[in-house]
Amino acid sequence: MKAMYRLESIRKTYGSIIALDLEELTIAGGRLYTLTGSNGAGKSTLLNILAFLSPPTSGEILYAGKRVDWNSESLEAFRRKVTLLHQSPYLFAGSVYDNVAFGLKIRGIRGKEQLRIVDRVLDGVGLRGFLRRKARELSGGEAQRVAMARALALEPEVLLLDEPLANIDRETSGLLETVIASLPLQGTTVVMTTHDPHHPDRLRGESIVLERGRLVSPPPGSVGSLTREGAAG
Amino acid sequence: MDFLVSSFVAALRLIGSFPPDVRDAVRTSLSVSTGATVFAAVFGIPLGLLIGLTEFPLKRIVVTILNTMMALPTVVVGLVVYGFLSRQGPLGILGLLFTPTAIVIGGTLLATPIVANYSLASVRGADPRIVPTALTLGAGYLRVVGALIGEVRFGILAAVIAGFGRVVSEVGVAMMLGGNIRGYSRTMTTAIALETSKGEFAFGMALGIVLMVVALIANLFLNFLQQR
Repeated sequence: MKAMYRLESIRKTYGSIIALDLEELTIAGGRLYTLTGSNGAGKSTLLNILAFLSPPTSGEILYAGKRVDWNSESLEAFRRKVTLLHQSPYLFAGSVYDNVAFGLKIRGIRGKEQLRIVDRVLDGVGLRGFLRRKARELSGGEAQRVAMARALALEPEVLLLDEPLANIDRETSGLLETVIASLPLQGTTVVMTTHDPHHPDRLRGESIVLERGRLVSPPPGSVGSLTREGAAG
Repeated sequence: MDFLVSSFVAALRLIGSFPPDVRDAVRTSLSVSTGATVFAAVFGIPLGLLIGLTEFPLKRIVVTILNTMMALPTVVVGLVVYGFLSRQGPLGILGLLFTPTAIVIGGTLLATPIVANYSLASVRGADPRIVPTALTLGAGYLRVVGALIGEVRFGILAAVIAGFGRVVSEVGVAMMLGGNIRGYSRTMTTAIALETSKGEFAFGMALGIVLMVVALIANLFLNFLQQR
């Protein structure tokens, strides 16, 4: 399995606070990883770096074998391969359709093809018939599903999920779990943060555990070496 | 009290009959204010967005200057522009002094800091998730800015209306740069000042009422758009 990401000596600091300090981490393609750790462990920081939204303070990242240059226009091309679904997703003003089609328009997908994709992904998250609904009038669970559909519509190589199953009802959670678990079968790499200790087993995912910004459990089958402190912890 | 009531009644009659002097002043006011607001929007919105979305040295000083410029006295703007447009000034050759165009120039200078500042405030107050959401969906810089403008459009619209309010209600610039020429560069505010000083209080009051109605219509328009 090819490596999607290879992170080398990644460090992210905010002033004197070290939010993330990873010696080495490789994330393989077409797999599902659950990212766990207590609050402030660096999970969201890592997701933002993986999504190319926030550069590390130091260190290097290779995506699909290509070195990521944080100061170049190529960053936009990297971002188009990876989509991050935030824990509390933002829906733009307008309809559900406008939201799901947002990324498709950017990619030049319009007309019937656009409508077909929007229909398919909304159907996939159980929101058939929601096309014309105003996004701002949806319940929390519905909004979460629209955001998921918006991300799925882009068929990203990597889908990063920040607590996608938090704060939603059991029925919606079950549905989204099924959707998420099916993604690696279609070749999508998934990295998902969670506080639920059962998620790695239920989703048949591999586990990455962070504590105080350091890796304490690298994913089996991938290259991930522990920092000295991490190994001790 | 009788004076006020009788003047008010006379003012309503004047508005009803809509004499040429009132009509010309209303037309001039609306045209120069609209022109100045359009230019202020063209310069002010991008300026506010640029300051709000980028980090650069001396940003705080630039914001402070912009804040200060919101309180620019109209007569100071009038004085400076007069200096440029007067016959001896560097732009005197254009012959713009005492024309509606000169009022538009002055009005643009008055309204631009207001539009820029309100636009800046809209961007600063925007939901911090907008930019990362647009970026992670593959948007480039221009599309991110477009998405942001779309989300804060009511704030920006309010900025434009505030700019219009500033221009339509000022006297100094219109008086100094327009020259208060009857039927040509006389605006509602300069007409109110002139007619009241001549003792034509009812005439001034009629224009004052029209001015208030214009402000009311601008706000109703904003409310209408917000409720859509």
